[in-house]
Amino acid sequence: MDRAAKDKALLDRIGIDQIARNQRARRRGQLGLGLVFMAPALIMVVGVLLVPVLFNIWLSFTKWRKFTGFGEYAGFANYERMPSNPFFNEALINTAIWVGASVVFPIALGLGMAMFFRNLRGAETFKNIIFIPRILAPTAVGVLWFYVYAPDGLLNRGLGLVSGRDVDIGWLYNDATVTPAIIATFVWQTAGLVMVLLLLGLAAIPKDPIEAAHIDGANRWQIFRYITLPLLMPTLLMVTILSVLAGFTVFDLLWVMGANYPGQRSLALAVFMYFEAFQKGSWAFGSAVAVIIGLVVLCVTWFQTVLQARVDRMTR
Amino acid sequence: MKLKGKLMGTAVGILLAAAPAFAQEVQLFHDKGFWSEQLQTVGDAAGEATGVTITETPYANAEQYKAFVQASIASGETPDMFTWWTGATFAELVSSGQIAPLDDLWAEMIANGGYGEASKELFMVDGQAYAVPLLLARWVVLYNKPLYAELGLEEPQSWDDLIANADAIVAAGETPFLATVHEGWRGFIWFQELLLRMHPEAYNGLNDGSVAYDGPEVRAVFEAWSDMYAKGYFSDPRSTEEFNDYVRGAGAMYLIGEWAAGLVVEAGVPADDLGVFIMPNAVEGAPAAVIVEGAPLVVSVDGAQDENVMQALRFWVSDEGANAWGEATGNYIGNNSAEAPNAIVAEVNADIAQTGATAYLRWWEAVPPDLQGELVAEMNRFMLDPTMETADEVMATMQSLNAAYWADQ
Repeated sequence: MDRAAKDKALLDRIGIDQIARNQRARRRGQLGLGLVFMAPALIMVVGVLLVPVLFNIWLSFTKWRKFTGFGEYAGFANYERMPSNPFFNEALINTAIWVGASVVFPIALGLGMAMFFRNLRGAETFKNIIFIPRILAPTAVGVLWFYVYAPDGLLNRGLGLVSGRDVDIGWLYNDATVTPAIIATFVWQTAGLVMVLLLLGLAAIPKDPIEAAHIDGANRWQIFRYITLPLLMPTLLMVTILSVLAGFTVFDLLWVMGANYPGQRSLALAVFMYFEAFQKGSWAFGSAVAVIIGLVVLCVTWFQTVLQARVDRMTR
Repeated sequence: MKLKGKLMGTAVGILLAAAPAFAQEVQLFHDKGFWSEQLQTVGDAAGEATGVTITETPYANAEQYKAFVQASIASGETPDMFTWWTGATFAELVSSGQIAPLDDLWAEMIANGGYGEASKELFMVDGQAYAVPLLLARWVVLYNKPLYAELGLEEPQSWDDLIANADAIVAAGETPFLATVHEGWRGFIWFQELLLRMHPEAYNGLNDGSVAYDGPEVRAVFEAWSDMYAKGYFSDPRSTEEFNDYVRGAGAMYLIGEWAAGLVVEAGVPADDLGVFIMPNAVEGAPAAVIVEGAPLVVSVDGAQDENVMQALRFWVSDEGANAWGEATGNYIGNNSAEAPNAIVAEVNADIAQTGATAYLRWWEAVPPDLQGELVAEMNRFMLDPTMETADEVMATMQSLNAAYWADQ
């Protein structure tokens, strides 16, 4: 009997095939059980996220407009139409303004407040107050600020008290003021969250390098610039990406606060998409705009992952 | 076994015999949530009178509602009975081939003496009627009778009278007209009225592309409108409470659909204090005219095959249905053998009967739907800065959109 045959006979005696079958059956059972436990989440993700997204992508390649063209293939026609639409271009520019503003202002303000409150005793109350707007629904915030900016609202009255004369600025009715006014509301609502995230990031920074810098005679600015800021970079990166996404997909505030502004449809891409689809019934075109928004958001998320990995390597 | 079979047969027989006694139900889809309760009142009245209850199913806003109907029709699941809008958007709906013609029903309605051919025309596409009226509202001027009496003013018989009244009201420190851009759709109200009164010949042409939005007729409208703003005739366009402004007496005259009369009275204005007149023409000798808003109630091709649906529809247009609807909302549906829902509607009816005023479809419904939102936004833009400089920009933008649309047709 050669060695191979001997080994096989030994394995047969042990019952290795049976053991392997049992293991496979157990793994199948575990997989089944796992799937049962995952089912609610899977159903949610597939049914509420994946299927609508795929359906939307498919719609963007159809001719669906109001009552017709539901299943008719249109190729890239809806995408080709976008650049020639003046409202799309305006919305694109406004969205870019939103993205820029939603990165710069909440982060500058949030970082300033985080640095200020970082080691301040009794700052908890102030931190909580600053965070409160974040827990309010954007629609409620929009309604609240709509009345703050109203012609006879709090802001004009306040300015009137300060200047000693009647102030009648239609903040939400003028081309020049509507976007800055809504951005200010957005900053008011989001700066608190940015502050909290940056405070968490600051708390995670080890004290040793800062103390060493102190001993070496570094001033506060130098410590901030060369130690705190680089070590805070992973948190700042995450906050920046969140802000970009928030700025790119903003809708609620623009919908509520810009309701009476004649150029509402051009306030941002998300609003433009809503007008095209729901008001004009250009479902396929609206879907194409949604796909563009989704693609940009996807790119930003991918960029974040790559950058995050690089920053992690640098700070490790 | 035989006994069991007999028992089952008897049970089925009893059920079949009793079936007509069970109330049937027909769903009515709509976007008029503010009339939910009132629609159900009529629906219940239908149930009592005919055994077919109309169950109203509201959608929160017009956009969501349009999305629902468009998606339903596109996927071949048209609702049996639902509301829509007249004009170009109605023609689009009919072109889907899913809406049933109702000429036979209209023939009955007209033969019964309640409805006129003029009402039917609002719901016709290519010579066939495809809807019955859910609402038929004339756009009129509601006015503050006590203020008129206090200032010794009379209902205007001419454009000059109207302007003289407005001047007198301004001189008394009050605001003659209410007009806001609230909710984004109101911008067309004064535009359409001024165009009809100043250039009636251009009114329909504007909506078929033969009259330009930067042409002399439209320019004349903007000049007059701008002048009226300069003279302080209008309330603050940024008000978000136009309706309440009237109730509070913040404006003496309110150009609106007559459906607002019931709401104004309900909000606390004594019915006797509310007067009404149809806006006079600015062109001497021009025929009497009135702007009409119609809301169609349609049934699908499949729905028309269902006797319950048709019975519900017959109840709606009957005197009993019209009275129930009129009592609940103050709305008129064009049924002249029913009672007038309120004194305002009765007065407008009498006025139209006397002058033979021609009905013009409201701009909102008459304009191509693809242009509607974008053009009205421009009119709102003008109202917020009513100078001729802004008017020039607004006219140029409107005409550019208008020309692009018609070039594409």
